Amino acid sequence: MDAALLEQMLLGALLALSVYLPLRCGQLSLATPGFYAVGGYVAALLSTGVPAFAGSGATSPLPALVAEMVLGGMLAGLIALAIGGPVLRLRGIYLAIATIALVEILRVLNLNLPFTGGAMGIFGIPQPFAHARGYVLFTLALLALACWLCQRLEALRLGRAMAAIRDDELAAASLGIDTPRTKLIAFVASAVLAGLTGALAAHFFNSWNARAGSFDASITTLAFVVFGGSRFWLGPVLGGLALTALPELLRPVGDLRLILFGAVILLGPLFFPQGLVTAERLRWLAALLGRGRHRDRQAPQAP
Amino acid sequence: MDLLQILVNGLSVGAVYGLFALGYTLVFSVLGVINFAHGAVFTLGAYFTYLLIGGAVGANGLLAGFQLPFALPFWGALPLAGLGAALVALLVERVAFRPLRRRRADPLLALITSLGAGVILVNLIQLLVGAESYAIPTGALGGLPASFSLLGARVRTVQALLLGIAVLLLALLTLWLEGSRNGKGLQAVAEDAETAQLLGIDSTAMVRLAFGLSGFLAGVAGGLVGLSVSIAGPYFGIGYGLKGLAVLVLGGLGSVPGAVLGGLIVGLAEAFVPADWSGYKDAVSYGFLFLVLLLRPRGLLGRPLPSKV
Repeated sequence: MDAALLEQMLLGALLALSVYLPLRCGQLSLATPGFYAVGGYVAALLSTGVPAFAGSGATSPLPALVAEMVLGGMLAGLIALAIGGPVLRLRGIYLAIATIALVEILRVLNLNLPFTGGAMGIFGIPQPFAHARGYVLFTLALLALACWLCQRLEALRLGRAMAAIRDDELAAASLGIDTPRTKLIAFVASAVLAGLTGALAAHFFNSWNARAGSFDASITTLAFVVFGGSRFWLGPVLGGLALTALPELLRPVGDLRLILFGAVILLGPLFFPQGLVTAERLRWLAALLGRGRHRDRQAPQAP
Repeated sequence: MDLLQILVNGLSVGAVYGLFALGYTLVFSVLGVINFAHGAVFTLGAYFTYLLIGGAVGANGLLAGFQLPFALPFWGALPLAGLGAALVALLVERVAFRPLRRRRADPLLALITSLGAGVILVNLIQLLVGAESYAIPTGALGGLPASFSLLGARVRTVQALLLGIAVLLLALLTLWLEGSRNGKGLQAVAEDAETAQLLGIDSTAMVRLAFGLSGFLAGVAGGLVGLSVSIAGPYFGIGYGLKGLAVLVLGGLGSVPGAVLGGLIVGLAEAFVPADWSGYKDAVSYGFLFLVLLLRPRGLLGRPLPSKV
């Protein structure tokens, strides 16, 4: 498979995990592309404007990339922390709309602030890797780390608190779970993940503009989770990989590909309301592989 | 710019947002979900109007060069375009909403399926008529002058029309909701679908009615905006759709007068943004939205938020 496509798929999987984290505690936030765009701008501005990050101009050192990702993730996380308290008081459709508004506000700022390059954005972002394969390996490692953390979450008190809030927020609160704090942690973690993915993506795409954080992107990342499933981290990862690849793989069909993409978003929830990856299917698969008992403990309980 | 001019500009833009939000509100009130394909239906209304007045498809779509064998005057084309848009909205209901409703699925899933329906519609438009922009000539208005002067402010006839038709449609809608059997049925379903069903109101028919009306409103708004500015390609409606969402929340989800009030407030607020800052204009409505959500989540005229106990 083409390494550039593979890299895009991996970035899609990371973004899907970013949408999954708030959903893990029942919060539908569509803010991921906004934070993704912020992270990308941090990397684009630092690596094109600050000599210490820029390397030789065409290339950039790997430690600079890591530093930019940390900074991009931190800025996104700080924004999430600042607005998270009041925003997370909202529920369901209201939270979805508020986060759409957040993405739009960030997009307007990105288009108009004096240092973001306007509609054209920022060009000539230096490359830490000579070939897309380098990006693939690096992103794969990051994705593996993110998946491992999500898997750990299943066992941790924090993860169980998140699941409890998803299933019944009032009951969770009455059990002594600090629900606002738990939701805020998930929201900030989601923003940090989106921010550092953005920083990585800005290098990979070589240029960055406000289109990265558009409403379209909100829809796309949401579709990853809906398609793959929001109950278990493997779902969003598979959804992100598959749906990022889909439009490219459908390229031979020409103009029909976006229509087919829309059809996937339309029909997915109708035929697989829980997404493709569910606890039952995982158990079934595990039983098929003859390791049923072991896997049973890892997969989350069905609702 | 003097105050009156700002008022005129703001109110006419606000009327469009209001019409848009009315469609969302009708559907939200009966189903409790937001139809994200609404922007695409609005876009279709504009294209239908363009075709019905005898416009020809440009060179880039599958339908290149297509032209209807007849050309209607604008006044005939607009309601027909509204009807066409209503049919599409009914189709969206059938495909994206009804299967989930029958299954009593999480309303957030309907948000996603309607997004899918919107993506399909927008790209279908692009496939058929290309991505270029189309202009509905203001000459379509027949003998009406392009603009007139009102107490020193220059009012484009289209602006006055937008405002006038929005007010007319709102008045008709309110009369219908309050006065007719179906209108009351719709309100009953909005209040409590199950009890309404027990009382012999066909809630499925009411849902269809809400979708049909919302499609009609969107189609008419699309045609009018197409006349006011040109139809800027298949993605034309999405920006309005997002603004409509802000308006909806500002006015109060499910509130008909709220939708109109919200539209006028947002339209006026945008008109007051100074020209030097016009790039930030789009952030005004979302800023409003944010504030309202944080200070008064039910919106200006909305009912209290349902709470899960």
